[in-house]
Amino acid sequence: MRLGIVRGHVVLNPAVTAFRGKTLVVLEPVTMENLRAGNGLGGGKSLIAIDALGAARGQIVAFTEGREAANPYWPNAVPVDAYCSLIVDSINIQP
Amino acid sequence: MFLARIEGTVVSSTKHPTLDGCRFLIAQRLEADGTAGLEPIVIIDWLGAGNGSTVLVSTDGDIARARLGNTTPARMVVVGIVDDLQTRKSAMRGNA
Repeated sequence: MRLGIVRGHVVLNPAVTAFRGKTLVVLEPVTMENLRAGNGLGGGKSLIAIDALGAARGQIVAFTEGREAANPYWPNAVPVDAYCSLIVDSINIQP
Repeated sequence: MFLARIEGTVVSSTKHPTLDGCRFLIAQRLEADGTAGLEPIVIIDWLGAGNGSTVLVSTDGDIARARLGNTTPARMVVVGIVDDLQTRKSAMRGNA
């Protein structure tokens, strides 16, 4: 998983049936430099992920990419390639 | 699979239910020349890797699915802690 800051939400209309009722968030991946600095900046290339956890703008989430991102919807086929797996409460980094 | 250096831990109370009880580590992917990747990664660890140690990470979710169930979004898992790494930096760059 990578870490991303929630920058906003996306609403689709229309959308494929599999996406109905699902929340989409705009994520900005966080670089190690910005994570260490704790400056609230991201620095990575933005992407869209499914969020079933209710992450709010500004929160950091860890998101899964690839085939495993669709696992939560198993055995249904859902065209998801990024999924918010956890909301970060705190991060302890060695100095 | 790739090597990564453990940099810290992540605490999360809100997560996918299959991830309850998992230990999450912050790591940086290591390149052949020893430099670290730009973005940190969050990995699951069942082996007890400590800060500063180098681990082998698999991005295949099979081991996570076997332990956490078919619906888990877990993917990156520590599959080993590096005990000894025998390389010559020049050889790793392909110009030995």
